[in-house]
Amino acid sequence: MGAFSLNYLVRRLLVFFLTLWVAATLIFIIPRLAPGDPITAMVARLTQQAGFVENADLIIEGWRERFGLNDPVYVQYLRYLTGLLQGDLGYSLARFPSTVSELVGRALPWTLGLVGVATLIFFSVGNLCGALLAWGKTPRLVKVMIPMSMIFTSIPPLLAGLLIVYVFGFLIPIFPQAYAYDYNFARPELTLEFFANVLYHGFLPAMSIVLVTFGYWALGMRGMMITIEGEDYMILAQAKGLKPFYVLYRYMIRNAILPQMTALAVSIGTLVNGVVLVEVIFSYNGMGTLIFTALREQDFGLIQGTSFILITTSALAVLIIDLSYPLIDPRISLEGR
Amino acid sequence: MEKQMENGSERVVLKVEKLRIHYATPQGDVIAVSDISFNLYEGETLGLVGESGCGKSTTAYGILQLVQPPGYIVNGSIEVDGTEVLDLSEEELRKFRWTGLSLIPQGAMNSLNPTMRVKDQIIDVIESHEGKKSDKQSMRARILELFQNVGLPNRIYNMYPHELSGGMKQRVCIAMGVALHPTVVIADEATSALDVVVQRIVAQTLVKVKDEIGVSLIVIGHDMGLLAQIVDRIAVMYAGKMVEIAPVENIYAEPLHPYTRLLIDSIPSIKERKPLKITEGITHDPRNPPSGCIFRLRCPFAWEHCAEVEPEPIDAEYKHEVACHLYDERFEERRANAFATFANP
Amino acid sequence: MAEDKKVKDAPVAGGTKQAGVLNRFDNPWLNWKFLSGAGILGFLFFLIFLGYQLWDTNLALSARSPLNLPPPGFTNWRGQEGVPEHPLGTENSGRDMLALIIVGTPRTIMVGVIAATVGMLIGILLGFMAGFLGGLFDDVIRLAVDIMITIPSLLVLIVIQAVLGRVDLLTMALLISIFSWATPTRYIRAQVLSMRESGYVQMARLSGVPVRDIMFKEIMPNLLPYLGASYIGNMQGAIISMVGLEVLGFGPQRIPSLGVAIFFSIEAGALFRNMWWWWGIPTVILAIVFVALLLINLGLDEIANPRLRKAS
Repeated sequence: MGAFSLNYLVRRLLVFFLTLWVAATLIFIIPRLAPGDPITAMVARLTQQAGFVENADLIIEGWRERFGLNDPVYVQYLRYLTGLLQGDLGYSLARFPSTVSELVGRALPWTLGLVGVATLIFFSVGNLCGALLAWGKTPRLVKVMIPMSMIFTSIPPLLAGLLIVYVFGFLIPIFPQAYAYDYNFARPELTLEFFANVLYHGFLPAMSIVLVTFGYWALGMRGMMITIEGEDYMILAQAKGLKPFYVLYRYMIRNAILPQMTALAVSIGTLVNGVVLVEVIFSYNGMGTLIFTALREQDFGLIQGTSFILITTSALAVLIIDLSYPLIDPRISLEGR
Repeated sequence: MEKQMENGSERVVLKVEKLRIHYATPQGDVIAVSDISFNLYEGETLGLVGESGCGKSTTAYGILQLVQPPGYIVNGSIEVDGTEVLDLSEEELRKFRWTGLSLIPQGAMNSLNPTMRVKDQIIDVIESHEGKKSDKQSMRARILELFQNVGLPNRIYNMYPHELSGGMKQRVCIAMGVALHPTVVIADEATSALDVVVQRIVAQTLVKVKDEIGVSLIVIGHDMGLLAQIVDRIAVMYAGKMVEIAPVENIYAEPLHPYTRLLIDSIPSIKERKPLKITEGITHDPRNPPSGCIFRLRCPFAWEHCAEVEPEPIDAEYKHEVACHLYDERFEERRANAFATFANP
Repeated sequence: MAEDKKVKDAPVAGGTKQAGVLNRFDNPWLNWKFLSGAGILGFLFFLIFLGYQLWDTNLALSARSPLNLPPPGFTNWRGQEGVPEHPLGTENSGRDMLALIIVGTPRTIMVGVIAATVGMLIGILLGFMAGFLGGLFDDVIRLAVDIMITIPSLLVLIVIQAVLGRVDLLTMALLISIFSWATPTRYIRAQVLSMRESGYVQMARLSGVPVRDIMFKEIMPNLLPYLGASYIGNMQGAIISMVGLEVLGFGPQRIPSLGVAIFFSIEAGALFRNMWWWWGIPTVILAIVFVALLLINLGLDEIANPRLRKAS
C-alpha cells in the first residue's frame, strides 16, 4: 500500500481529528464565502425581522471581536481554532450573554439519550429480525410477520415522526406530543417519577427513528447471514451436530454482526441527520430543536456551535465503534493491520 | 508402511446401498451419484478416487447427510453400525453426527469459525454431544491430548484460526474429527490444499490417529500415489458409478476394470515416461447417461453387450468387486483376447 | 447386491422443490421487487403527467383558491365542507392541494435526480481511481470518504443555507450533491477491488488488455446492477436531505415542493388543527416515492447478488 499505510489505531485517530478539522474549517470558511460582511448582513436581517434588536451594537461589536474581521484571515483562522480547542464556541447572538457552550451543554444530553436508546433498539431488533429471516429453522409465521413490520423502512424519520405524532399524539392521544419531559417539573431531577416521564416523552421520537431504521438492518443482516450460510465452516458446523440455536448465534450471528458493526459506524452521520429533524417535529429539548430555534432567530453563532458539536459527537461515536471493533473481531488488532 | 492384518475385520461398520444423488438444474437433473453400494469394514481405511466431477465428494456428503441444495438424495440406504441414517429424525440425526460419522473437510482453510478460539470449536462439539462439562481442567487435558495425537503444540490452545498455518488448521480438523471417537471418519480431500511435504505429513498423521483410536476411515482424493500409502482398499468412481473396489495391493498389481487400468497406467513414475492413456473429462452428458455401461463410450474393449446391459458389481476376489461385463464368466474368452491386444498394441 | 431400493424423498434437500430451483435461472431482471418499484414510480409519473394535462397547475400558487378547505366529504375546524373543485382540499394561503402535488412531486424528484447524478458521477470516477490505481490515490480518497461519511451532511448544509438564505432548487440540488459522492465512492471502490482480484480481470491484465478497456469493458458491465442500486440509494439520501432542509424552512416558497408544503403546514399548526390533508398528502406521496425507491434498490441488490434471491 501507499504512503498512508498506517495501522488501524493510528488511521482511526487520524480520521477522527481530520474530521473535526474539516468540520471546523468548513464552518469557518462558509460565512466568508458569502457576498458581503456576514455579521452586518445577519444583524440587518435580524433587525428587519424583529424591528429592533436589543444590544445590537454590543452584539456586532462582540462578533467583530470574535471574528477579528480586521485581522488577516489566517490570524482569524488560528484564533478560531485555538478557541475551539479551549471549548470556546462564542456567544449566542439571540440570547446574549448566554454562551453557545452553555446552551449546547443543556441540549446535548437529551440528544445523546434519544439517539443512544433508539440505536440500541433498532440495531438489536433489526439484526435479530434479519437473522431470523435468513435462518432455516425460523417458524413460517415469524418469517411472514417480520417483512410486514418493515413497511416503514426507507421513509425519512421526519415523515414517520409526523405520522406518529398525528396518530398517537393527536388522534389517539396516549403519548405526549412534544418536549422531553412535562413542564410541571421545573428542572430535571433525579427521581424515578421524572425518569418515567422522560421515557414516556421519549417513546414517540424514539419510535419514529426505530420504525424506519430497523428494516435496513434486518435486510443487511439477512444478506450477511445468507453469505455466511455458504461458508465452509457452516458445513462443518452442521456435520458436527451442534444444536441449531447454538449454530445460529455462535457461528452465524457472531460472524454476520461484524460487517453490521462497520455499517453502523458508516450510518452515524445519516442517523444524526434524522434525529435532528425528529427533534424538531417533537420539539424535543435536544440539539435538533436548538439548531432549529437558532435558525429562526438567525443566531449564527449558535448554529455554527451546535453544528460543530454535533459533528464532533458523531465523529466520536464513529471512533468509539471503530475502536471497539477489534474487541469483537479477533482478526483485527489495534497494533496490526 | 505396515499393512494391517492380512484380511482385516469382517464386521461391516458402514453399509451403503443404492445411494443415488441428483443435482436439480433447469435442464433436468444431473446424476451426481448413481446407485452406489459398498461396505466399509471395521478399522479399515478406504480410499475413494476418481477424476474431478466423478461424484466422490458428493458420495461423502451424501453419507454425511450434508448434500447442499440443489442437490438431493433420491434414494438409497446408509447404515452405520446397524443404524439407518436416512430414517433418523432431525434431532436423532444431530445426536448421531460426529459420534457416528465425522468429517475432516476439504477446505480446512475456511472450515474453522474465524471468530472462535480453536479450543472452543473442539469444546463445543464435545459439549453438544456429551453435555456441559464443569471440569475445565479435564477438558483442557483432553483437548491437549488430542493436540498431541495430531502433533499440534500446546501453545495453539488459545489461538484463533487465522493465527495458524494451513497444515496446523488441517491438524486441528483431524483432532476435531476424532474427538468423539466416531465409528467412521470421512476425510474429504483433506490434504489437497496443502503443499506436497505438508500433505504427506498430514496424511501420515491421519493414519496414525486412525490406528490409535481405532476408527474406520474413508479418504477421498485424486492422488493415487499418496492414497496407495495410507489406504487398505481403494474404490474407483467414474461418472457417479463405482466401477471397482479392491484391496490396494490388488489394484496396483492387477487392476481389473478397464478404467482402473487406464488410471493406474497413467500414474507417472521416474523410471519410465508413460504416454497419457486416458483423456480428461467425462464425455457424456451427465443428465442423459448412455445406456448400459457408463464407461463404454471411452472403453477400448466395449462391445454391443455393454450398450444393452448395465454391469452389476461382480465379486472377483475377496473384498474385491468390479462392475464390468468382461468379468462375467460368459465372456471369459473375450476378456483374454481383449487384454492380449491391449498389452501389445 | 440386488436388493429392493429404499426410496427416500430427498431428505436432505428438504423443501427444495424443482420449481423453486428453476426460478433461480430465470432472467434476473424479472425481479418482482425491482419491477413493482419501477411500476409504482412509473404510475406516479403517469398520474402527474395526466395532472398537467387535466388540471390547472396555476392553482398551486397562493391566493388562487379559498383557504383551508378539506377534501370533499370532510369538514374543517371552522365547519366548512370540502368542495369538488378542490378534491384534495386547500391550505391556508389558498393553494389547491392537488395542483400543489402535481407541481411539487416532480420538483422534489428532480432535485433527487440531479444530486444523485452529480454525486454518482464523482463517485464512479473516484471509486474507480481508488480501486484500480491504488497507492496514494486510494489512501487519499479513502481518507476523504471516511471524513465525509462521518460528518452529518444536514448540519453543514444548515450552516450553508443559514448564510445563503433561501435558494432555488438547482442550487439546493448542487449543495446536496457535495455530500452525495462519498457513499457511492466507498461502495464502488469496494466492488472494483473485489472484481480486480477476480479471475477474469486478472486474465485480462495478464494478456495485456489496456487498463481503460479492463475498466469499461470488463468491470463496468458487471458493476451495472451495483451502480444502479447505489444510484437509487443516493437518490433516497438526496431527497431525504432536501425534505429535511425544506422542513427547516429553506426552500423556494413561491412554487412549493412537497417538503415546503410540509414546512408551511407545520408552521401553521396544521397538525393540531387536524388539517391532515395539508401535511398528510405530501407525506404519503413522499412515502410512496421512498417505498418505490427501496423496492427498486432491493431488486437491484438481488439482481447483482443471486444468493439474496433465496426465497425467504
